[in-house]
Amino acid sequence: MVNTLTPETTERAHGPRSAGPAVNGRAQTRRRRHQAVVAYLFLAPALLFFAVFLILPLGFALLLSTSRWAGFDLGDIDPVGLDNFTGLFADGSTFLTPILTNTLLFALGTVALALAGSVLVATCIDNLRFQGLWRTLYFLPIVTTVVAVGNVWKYMYEPGGLVNGVLNALGLGSVAFLQDPDTALPSVVVVQAWASVGSAILILTAGLKSIPESYYEAAALDGAGPGTVFWKITLPLLRPSLLFVCITQFLTGLQSFALIIVMTKGGPGDATNVAALEMYRQAFSYGDWGTASAAAFVLFVVVLVVTLVQLWIFRRKGEDA
Amino acid sequence: MNRRRFPWFSYLVVVTGAVLTVVPFLDMVMTSFKGPGESGTLPYRFLPEAFDLSNYRAAVAQLDLPVLFRNSVIATALITGSVLLTSSLAGYALAKLRFPGRNFIFRLVLSTMMFPPFLFFIPHFLILVHWPLAGGNDLFGRGGAGLTVSIAALVVPFLVNGFGIFLTRQFMVSIPDEVLEAARIDGAGEFAVWWRIVVPQTKPVLVTLGLLTFVDAWNEYIWALLVSTANPDVMTLPVGIQLLQDYVDPTRTMPIVMAGLALSILPVLILFLLLQKHYIRGVMLSGLK
Repeated sequence: MVNTLTPETTERAHGPRSAGPAVNGRAQTRRRRHQAVVAYLFLAPALLFFAVFLILPLGFALLLSTSRWAGFDLGDIDPVGLDNFTGLFADGSTFLTPILTNTLLFALGTVALALAGSVLVATCIDNLRFQGLWRTLYFLPIVTTVVAVGNVWKYMYEPGGLVNGVLNALGLGSVAFLQDPDTALPSVVVVQAWASVGSAILILTAGLKSIPESYYEAAALDGAGPGTVFWKITLPLLRPSLLFVCITQFLTGLQSFALIIVMTKGGPGDATNVAALEMYRQAFSYGDWGTASAAAFVLFVVVLVVTLVQLWIFRRKGEDA
Repeated sequence: MNRRRFPWFSYLVVVTGAVLTVVPFLDMVMTSFKGPGESGTLPYRFLPEAFDLSNYRAAVAQLDLPVLFRNSVIATALITGSVLLTSSLAGYALAKLRFPGRNFIFRLVLSTMMFPPFLFFIPHFLILVHWPLAGGNDLFGRGGAGLTVSIAALVVPFLVNGFGIFLTRQFMVSIPDEVLEAARIDGAGEFAVWWRIVVPQTKPVLVTLGLLTFVDAWNEYIWALLVSTANPDVMTLPVGIQLLQDYVDPTRTMPIVMAGLALSILPVLILFLLLQKHYIRGVMLSGLK
């Protein structure tokens, strides 16, 4: 490692800055070369890892997405061009509807619910004492494994579970939340939102703390009511935090499928199937590595586009703010 | 001041929300104490008739709990240790050492955070299966099951974390160069400078990063599921507890699952309550989980 890297240190001259006039030029050169060698040694584990587990996999995934392969001998990879991609969008394929649609609905629903809930709770916590205690409480779902969250809610949604128990106590009939194709996706969305409200509250709290108290005092002098204060002061000044929560939640929502595996396995039918889960299944249940890799890239593009659009909105809003 | 008007409304919202947050956990604990025929029956009852501990015994008996626990602990410890070590090493180089290609490598580290994890499930799995000279493979990765037969499979894809490198680098940048220079003049090598001066100064951020990594590794499900489907010997706690679902006694399955879940989240819960300040800071630093 050291030997292969030493020649590169001759490029040192292009390095960032030189520490003033070279009083002792040769010693300094030697020291810099030494520092470069050490730096590469310190970086070696990380760089090696990125080469094997980041760059190689990306190339491998790209190769697989344009191939047909039985999954055994690496010599048997058949290039098929874009067949896997066209297959995903062919007539009769379930990938566009309902799977990709579900993915977007799942992400959108989660963001909407989590955002509304966290804005409400975060602004209210800001009015109270023992703020740390409240926030810790709201944080419980985040440190809990998705297996726990999924199973507890799955059980609560059952006919003899807590949610239906409450409905029955109110005189309402039971709902087959996860078994009914119409209610399955919204039911899972509620759980995903429930699990992510805590961290959103945290980000929004940081945003709330940065709003100067003097704005509120001025509003009070003008006799503004709490509703006006919320809509005209709190919400607009919270916009950077809101958009940040929005972007990161949306990203998470588009990608996550662990909760769905635990709660519904994508069912009933394809009612809760999402793109990442479909990719997982194509690969590890059906052994169709090509289609699975193609699905992964399509989802990647969706994630990228959604993020860029949001960043664009973020920047525009930032300008007129 | 005006902020603090109408506290009753705030209390109403915050308490309602808190109840909604905590009740599922309480329901889990209550169910874990329910006796045969008490759960999943109508009408729904929140409290158990008697606090029956047999579900915990059944969960322990049904699962090979010591093995699951061992696998989870080993995997989590290795991942956390490795992330801390590689992050602080690479972070130091990127923050405080001058070398050609520094900006390029820093940009590479930043870009690793851009790629979503699902993109790597398939290639990572295939790389581990075809790992040369492991698990019966030849030099070209043919013939055996590669690294998927060992606990390494649980760990390897998570050993380095781009965000960890970024985070430690950001903190190390603020350490004054004069301090490091003084140590070097006193004859300390770069390794000693890193270990004796830089690492102690970055302790707060390392604790934060360690805690974040620990919780994520302990709770990891999808990858562990994948690996232990190939090799049940490396099953972790979350995967094992999910399997309790297939427990045969229909009047008792749910209480036993809930008992297992309660046991599995206890270690993280305790750690979180002890070190919540660091953890909360970590989530704020890293954006959202």
